[in-house]
Amino acid sequence: MTSRVVCLALCVLPAAFIASSTPAPMFREIAADVGLNFHHFTGATGEYLMPEIMGSGAALLDYDNDGDLDVYVVQGTALEEGKTLLFPPPAGSKPGNRLFRNMLTETGKLQFVDVTDSAHVGHVGYGMGVATGDYDNDGFIDLYVTNFGHNVLYHNNGDGTFTDVTRDAGVDDPRWSTSAAFLDYDNDGYLDLFVANYVDFTVQGNKRCHAPTGERDYCTPVAYKAVPSRLFHNLGNGKFLDVTGESGIASAYGPALGVLCADFNGDGRTDIYVANDTAANRLWLNQGNGTFREAGLEAGLAYSADGLPKAGMGVTAEEVDKQGTLSVVVTNLTREGATLFRGNGKGLFEDVTVQSGLLGPTFAFTGFGTQWLDYDNDGRLDLFIANGAVSIVESMRGGAYPYGQRNLLFHNEGADRKFLETGGTAGPAFQRLDVGRGVAVGDVDNDGAVDILVTNNNGPVRLLHNETARTQHWVEVRLEGVKSNRSGIGARVAILRDGEEPLWRRVHTDSSYLSASDIRVHFGLGKNADLRGIVVRWPDGSEERWDNVQPDKVVVLRQGSGKVRP
Amino acid sequence: MPVIALLILAITLSADPGLQRPRDAAVPDLPQLNTGSFLPAIRQQIDEAYAAARANPKDAEATGKLGMVLDAYEQYESAARCYRRAHVLDPDSFRWLYYLGRLQAILGQHQEAVLTLREAVRQKPDEVPARLTLADSLLAIAKWEDARDIYRTISNAHAESAEAQYGLGRVYALRGDLTAAATAYLRACELFPSYGAAHYALAVLYRKLGRQAESQQQFSLYEQNKEAVPPLNDPLRSDVLNLNLGSVGHMRRAETLEQAGRFAEAVAEQNEALRVDPSAVQAHIKLIALYGRLGQYDQAAEHYRAALDLDPNQADAHYNYGVLLVTQNKLQDAERAFQQALRINPYYAEAHNNLGSVYEQQGRLDEALQQFAEAIQNQPNYHLAHFHMGRILANQGKYDEAIHHLLKTLLPEDDNTPVYLYALAGTYARAGDLRTALKHARTAREQAARRGQTQLLKSIDRDLEALEKAVGDIKKQ
Repeated sequence: MTSRVVCLALCVLPAAFIASSTPAPMFREIAADVGLNFHHFTGATGEYLMPEIMGSGAALLDYDNDGDLDVYVVQGTALEEGKTLLFPPPAGSKPGNRLFRNMLTETGKLQFVDVTDSAHVGHVGYGMGVATGDYDNDGFIDLYVTNFGHNVLYHNNGDGTFTDVTRDAGVDDPRWSTSAAFLDYDNDGYLDLFVANYVDFTVQGNKRCHAPTGERDYCTPVAYKAVPSRLFHNLGNGKFLDVTGESGIASAYGPALGVLCADFNGDGRTDIYVANDTAANRLWLNQGNGTFREAGLEAGLAYSADGLPKAGMGVTAEEVDKQGTLSVVVTNLTREGATLFRGNGKGLFEDVTVQSGLLGPTFAFTGFGTQWLDYDNDGRLDLFIANGAVSIVESMRGGAYPYGQRNLLFHNEGADRKFLETGGTAGPAFQRLDVGRGVAVGDVDNDGAVDILVTNNNGPVRLLHNETARTQHWVEVRLEGVKSNRSGIGARVAILRDGEEPLWRRVHTDSSYLSASDIRVHFGLGKNADLRGIVVRWPDGSEERWDNVQPDKVVVLRQGSGKVRP
Repeated sequence: MPVIALLILAITLSADPGLQRPRDAAVPDLPQLNTGSFLPAIRQQIDEAYAAARANPKDAEATGKLGMVLDAYEQYESAARCYRRAHVLDPDSFRWLYYLGRLQAILGQHQEAVLTLREAVRQKPDEVPARLTLADSLLAIAKWEDARDIYRTISNAHAESAEAQYGLGRVYALRGDLTAAATAYLRACELFPSYGAAHYALAVLYRKLGRQAESQQQFSLYEQNKEAVPPLNDPLRSDVLNLNLGSVGHMRRAETLEQAGRFAEAVAEQNEALRVDPSAVQAHIKLIALYGRLGQYDQAAEHYRAALDLDPNQADAHYNYGVLLVTQNKLQDAERAFQQALRINPYYAEAHNNLGSVYEQQGRLDEALQQFAEAIQNQPNYHLAHFHMGRILANQGKYDEAIHHLLKTLLPEDDNTPVYLYALAGTYARAGDLRTALKHARTAREQAARRGQTQLLKSIDRDLEALEKAVGDIKKQ
């Protein structure tokens, strides 16, 4: 009876009413439309070699300093010669990583052009991730590419080209490297480099693993042994020194996948947080003397509330709640749920996944890249997670590539510190089943709305263009360090508004999974365009303030040009 | 507007599955299965169950059995569909409701799980596993009070339920009642002293309360029992697990038995895995080590050959065989086996270490040191490799370097720490720093005593006496 009432009522409604109530998508996938033609190649031949399921990352960076974001995407390759490829690359596609130049500044239109060959950045290898940072402070952002195999440091020559300086710089690592991050851990004004390493898998020693049904499947990291990550100290002359041993970071490690660098205990020093796959996550607290102390367990960041290690792939941290309190998200496997750790400002963290509303919606997904972003400019940080399975999705069995899942977008509701999954109304792009891996966020068309770049394993790169209504104000801040590193990485930026506490954000390109985001710091201002000023706390501890900052634009703040705050 | 209100009301009413009577519900179809790539034995098992369900479309038992078989192989979505169908066919059966609710919880469909399990416990209020799963799902959807009430009811009727106490602790902690949470967690730990999750939760709580020493103690207990949970007392769940005939299931059980020191039973499970899947090379590799532990070297060698026949590039096979050969003092053969492991995986720290030990036994000290160095390069916190390096360097009179390596063996502590400390003490003594030697020797003794290592204790006591005399003589001078 009840269902008949529903049916009758539905029949009565005019079609026009139904059509007009469909909201416009918040994000629209435009990669192919704007020339970002890239399809990830796993090299899979049916032997289930572990790197094939891990995917690769991407970076949003302004490599040519023309004011708009370019894109660098990392590519895989065949790991074994002479075997039939299950998913051969599309005809006409070039091997190796690709650099796409954004033509927005030149033409006024968002369009990307493949400039890989002229830029000399098309490394061909089994690419994993990319980190960005101006390690030599010449004003041009450089690239560090991680591989299953030797890594590559590309120095940006400032003329549209790059040079492979890996050997000279001394930053190679032949092991299976994953995420990497630039940080200035000793505050000498030069960016150092942390490289996360995974497990001791070799192609020759590939192990045969099986699903519970007996089918061949990809091994999990427990089938192998973790290898230690690396810390390289920048000597300031274009060279780095491997300080892994003396820094202490090799004293405890796991299969590292995600990494981010931030001040976790409020002592003004940059610490390192590493998400380990099926092992305790590690928090390396900077001791200020070139060494680090592992404090994941005591800080409450090693495990989720049940004390069990989870998959730990992607990671993101920001001051979501209030000044000095980091909220850290770690993405995990299907049937684990993502984990949200909330800090208390004194270096202690608590798993608040259940209370925040994140557990239920993330439980059915395997999360990888993730980032905090204010997608609707309401002043509160929201959360994006790219999902994609690592073992066969039951409902997709028999399909060509049965690992697809949809991505998740969580809106920060503000009240009760809860998050609401809004993928259902975010647009068709959020209903598509992809095998999501890397995530980089940034405003690719400088319209004040943060866009999302997503890489997919064995699939096309996606650019989710933010099309939320432009009714709210914003400001984006790019720093130029002078005493501090040129990129300003490790600084914190706050906006000042009447009647409100300062709203702080980190300056970073790291986090997520295998990827690097826009160095500019984005603030949503909501409906109120009031902006009394901006404060920057530089990595060296000094503070400056700028007044009369106009909203709805990108501002560049050079160290030394503001009013010094005592 | 009234039409819209009616529409909204109608949709709301019809959307609540709890109000749909199963007798009115349409019978869901059997799931579409794609078993072509499954292990033949598993495929046969599923196909037979499927055929029985199809042949008896109105038989809830046949459909439910298919669901159980699929559940056993973690095909949860298909299994849930079968359970739902079985429930519609037999609404009075608790079993299908429980199985369905359990899977809904596993799949993260906690709202649905709550509705299903509520109906299940209405049928059988005394079923503890069902009520625990219901409470856990209520917790997952932030229905704190409802979860608390169920945990309380369980613990009132079953005072021995550590899980109920742990659940209560979680509810209280989430509601901010830390004192009540601590009481509940403590009770859970008393009921099941190895309850890793409860120790962890208590450690975090104590830290929040500023009770650092107690927090440390609980973290330490947690580290010893990380993944231990109260034993499963769920016959219905066991019925599902026992349907798993796959090699993966056997190998998992073997792993658990091996960790418990039940090597003969572990051997049986691994052999069963091979019976089901003769190509399970990992089972062969495990059997090399297991038979080695049992002293059955011929069988171990047999499995080594079988593993190589399947895949000559399994580094672990060569490694395990190498270990076997060392115990038989066949050093040259062991050397070859470890080298083979390293050709396949040059990052294999344990293989480097063991090859180093073989070289040392053969008197090839430089090569031994090189291998230990490689082991450390690949695993910087490898205590044993540091220890071996330290010993050799000390014997070569390179005391500073030896001490550098021996110091790296001390943290984190393990059962070998007394030996490491003893070696460190000896090295300091040989280097002429008797006071430091004495300090470490005393710590070694204390740790050896704590661990009941009586033989080691005797050796330490002998040297300690000499050291104390020597230091005493220095003081008199």
